[in-house]
Amino acid sequence: MIKKQLYRFYKFIKKPYNVILSVLLIVLGYLTLFPMLTMIKDTFTVHVSESMRLKQAAGTFTLNHWLKVLFDPSSLSVFYKPFLNSLVTSLGACLVALVFGGVFSWLITRTNIRWKKALSSLFIFPYIMPSWTLALAWFNVFKNSVVGGVPGTFQALTGIEPPNWFAYGAFPIALVTGLHYAPFAYIMIGGVLRNMDANLEEAAMMLKTKRNRIVRKITIPMILPAVLSTFLLVFSSAMSSFAVPQFLGLPVRYQVLTTQLYRTLNGINPGQGYCIAMIMILLSVGILAFNQRMVGTRKNYTTVTGKSSNISLVNLKKARNVISVIALILIVIVSILPLVSFALESVILRPGDYSPSNFTLQFWIGTAEENSIANNEAGLLRNPNLWKALWNSLKLSIICAITAGSLGFLAGYGIVRGRGTKLAKVVDNLAFFPYLMPSMAFSVIYLSMFSTRHGPIPALYGSFFLLVLIGTVKYMPFASRSGINSMLQLSNQIEEAGEIIGVSWPKRMGRLVIPIQKSSFISGYLLPFTSCMRELSLFVLLVTPQNRVLTTLLFQYNEKGWSQYSNGINLMIVIIVLVVNAVVNKVTGASIDKGIGG
Amino acid sequence: MPKIELKNITKKFGGTFTAVDNLSITIEDGDFITLLGPSGCGKTTTLRQIAGLETPTEGEIIIDGKKVFSSIDMIDVSPSKRDVGFLFQNYALWPHMTVYKNIAFGLENLKWEKSRIDERVKELLALLKIEEFSERYPAELSGGQQQRVAIARTLATNPRVLLMDEPLSNLDAKLRMEMRTELKRLHRETGATFVYVTHDQLEAMTLATKICLLDKGVLQQYAPPLTVYNKPANTFVADFVGSPTINFLKCKNEGNGVLSSPIGKLRFNRVDGVMGDLGDTPTIGIRPEFVTMDKNGKLQGEVLSSLPSGMETTLRLKVKDYVFSSVLFGSLDFGVGEKIPLSLPGETMVLFDSNGNYSGEGSLEIL
Repeated sequence: MIKKQLYRFYKFIKKPYNVILSVLLIVLGYLTLFPMLTMIKDTFTVHVSESMRLKQAAGTFTLNHWLKVLFDPSSLSVFYKPFLNSLVTSLGACLVALVFGGVFSWLITRTNIRWKKALSSLFIFPYIMPSWTLALAWFNVFKNSVVGGVPGTFQALTGIEPPNWFAYGAFPIALVTGLHYAPFAYIMIGGVLRNMDANLEEAAMMLKTKRNRIVRKITIPMILPAVLSTFLLVFSSAMSSFAVPQFLGLPVRYQVLTTQLYRTLNGINPGQGYCIAMIMILLSVGILAFNQRMVGTRKNYTTVTGKSSNISLVNLKKARNVISVIALILIVIVSILPLVSFALESVILRPGDYSPSNFTLQFWIGTAEENSIANNEAGLLRNPNLWKALWNSLKLSIICAITAGSLGFLAGYGIVRGRGTKLAKVVDNLAFFPYLMPSMAFSVIYLSMFSTRHGPIPALYGSFFLLVLIGTVKYMPFASRSGINSMLQLSNQIEEAGEIIGVSWPKRMGRLVIPIQKSSFISGYLLPFTSCMRELSLFVLLVTPQNRVLTTLLFQYNEKGWSQYSNGINLMIVIIVLVVNAVVNKVTGASIDKGIGG
Repeated sequence: MPKIELKNITKKFGGTFTAVDNLSITIEDGDFITLLGPSGCGKTTTLRQIAGLETPTEGEIIIDGKKVFSSIDMIDVSPSKRDVGFLFQNYALWPHMTVYKNIAFGLENLKWEKSRIDERVKELLALLKIEEFSERYPAELSGGQQQRVAIARTLATNPRVLLMDEPLSNLDAKLRMEMRTELKRLHRETGATFVYVTHDQLEAMTLATKICLLDKGVLQQYAPPLTVYNKPANTFVADFVGSPTINFLKCKNEGNGVLSSPIGKLRFNRVDGVMGDLGDTPTIGIRPEFVTMDKNGKLQGEVLSSLPSGMETTLRLKVKDYVFSSVLFGSLDFGVGEKIPLSLPGETMVLFDSNGNYSGEGSLEIL
């Protein structure tokens, strides 16, 4: 009996994917499931900062948090209103993303619009840039007197004061978030349009179907699953975005769930914050399950043959030049103008005054003594804080990319090879779970989990390692998705052909699997790197002055109102991310859009 | 050269689905075996189990007297140590390596000397007539050329057993014919034992020294091709092998050797077979080539369709309430509705008992 068990165990571990999956199960279980359980517990316990008010000792069981969030007169402002605002802005963002991205992907794949290549790569920009980039740009341009004193570029140039609804709140949040995620729609819908078998449309054409009828009856139904996936993806991403509503909602006290989460977690009601976080997680899980069911049942129907013959492009005729120019202008506004705005804001002495005499480079190269206007903070390029933060950011992003990328790839390998087994399914879900955790809540949990020593694990608060740990876990879903996608494309037989002639597992990976899937393999590293470079909400609560990163430094400058510095840093982050992406893309052919789609 | 023995091999997936059910066969040294059956019958699973790419749930596999798998003795030798070659359905060529590298990779892995590798690769390139492609990448080759490279790569290490999983299914008909001849030549020249999976009964018939026919994981018949054709073990085998398919006359046993069939009363004169109880509802199997045009024939068939191919003509013929498939040799054509006199000659009609199992062969007498 024992011998039989041993043999089964031996048979099990002889398969490399089983070993990978088992290790991941333990590690991910500890790093994702445990925090989740901790959080559930936290919604029912009294926290230190609440014990005075609730007149109960910290750690006692209470239903107070849930009651306050859901069934109290104050629930309206604590939960329901922000919840409604979140719904409104997220739905608005979906609409913007789908219309903008959908129309654009059709123009690029199916018409004879000019400058396709340039337009297409510029269009991805907003996604590569931090999500708040556009928000900050919007703020720079359209801020009005509500925020005190200094008007934005628009008012300075035209003299018209933008109304509140236009400058802050639901409208710009939805618009900016939608524009940020429009590349999602472009990549997913464009992908289907590009790979769709032209025969399907040609068959209808042979039956003398009119062009617009073909679009309505064949093309649109074909891309519907992609539209739905995009919708749900944008919706859940928009629900959990923090920086944009923080920048654009705060001036008019427009609260959404994430900003409410930040307030409560940072304030005296962490218990309520955990409740909100729980609700957000449940919502995300629900959306994801829905998405999987829809896509799962409809998958066969979008069969993408990849055997795309030349599709006859729609001739825009006389409108060609007009549409091309309009598209170019729109994309330049969304993709290039923010950068110009940051550059501009970082070189003017007094914000809001765009006369030539007001321009200065002192916020970039001035010494501390010269910058009395900003509490003697040295110009960015001479500022040791900045260099330290830049170094930390790069170090953190590179390490996170390596760990998350490698683990994600191994997870993808294990999940695909072990397909059908329970173990693979569990690991698949565990590896994706961090994606559903709102960053803010995730970091708070890690904060409490690792603030004291647990068995062999020392207290990690304040350490760089904690940032690496949380970054790795949080970004692994990106890498594991792209790992799964690339492994699914690779026939099992490719590896078996090596196995049968006695090629060892490491060599099979190193010489066969990875080289063949080189570009998507590297894409799996690029996405965590990019995300980490621009991450704010995950790190904002965890950094100490010692391990500050660029984004948190930016946040601090922004809170102090030193807009020149925050704009300058923003410009730097965007440029670093763009340059790294461009270089990696040129050298290896990997690209960020290869990673999305899962 | 090795002999392969499968003993009581059972493979279950997920605890419920049985892919292979208690399969025992012995593959003699130097045989060319085809594993034949409809899709999902367990033939590929069987092949992968021999290779070691799949682990049986129960049973034993012995290659050349050496136990490579045993669920009782807890032996499971890894694929690379079984000395088998495996040819994949989709070739599984490594797209990032040239043809030369693809073939050499396995040898490098065995730490062969460079000069020896070069010699061996050149030998294989010549054997498969692909010398001029040695520096090309797989994507730059046609399907047939890719297949040759895949075969060269598999043969490189000189495996004594060559396992092939529907290797020709992605080729066009003409190329398939050519590669069949090629495979027979390779079988002769290498002297290895070949095990070949296919769902194409014609391929199985033409290539194999012995056919192993499976259905739903259960062995139906394991015999040389002509035996399978002429003495099918059951109605499933009879139906699966042969194109156009065999005609089945479902009869009622009237006793005293008289059977009443849809085309009238018949007497079956057995010349060979297992004597046994036929039961109440035996079946007679008649191959299409034995439904022939005969001026003195007692039956009359009405032509429902006629498909002349030059060498032969395939007909659908209605006799009373029954529709026969018939193959007539020669350049013939008939109009629809034409009436043809028929007879059912020969002594190779097959009789199945009420359970559909082979009962004997013989001639038919129309009463």
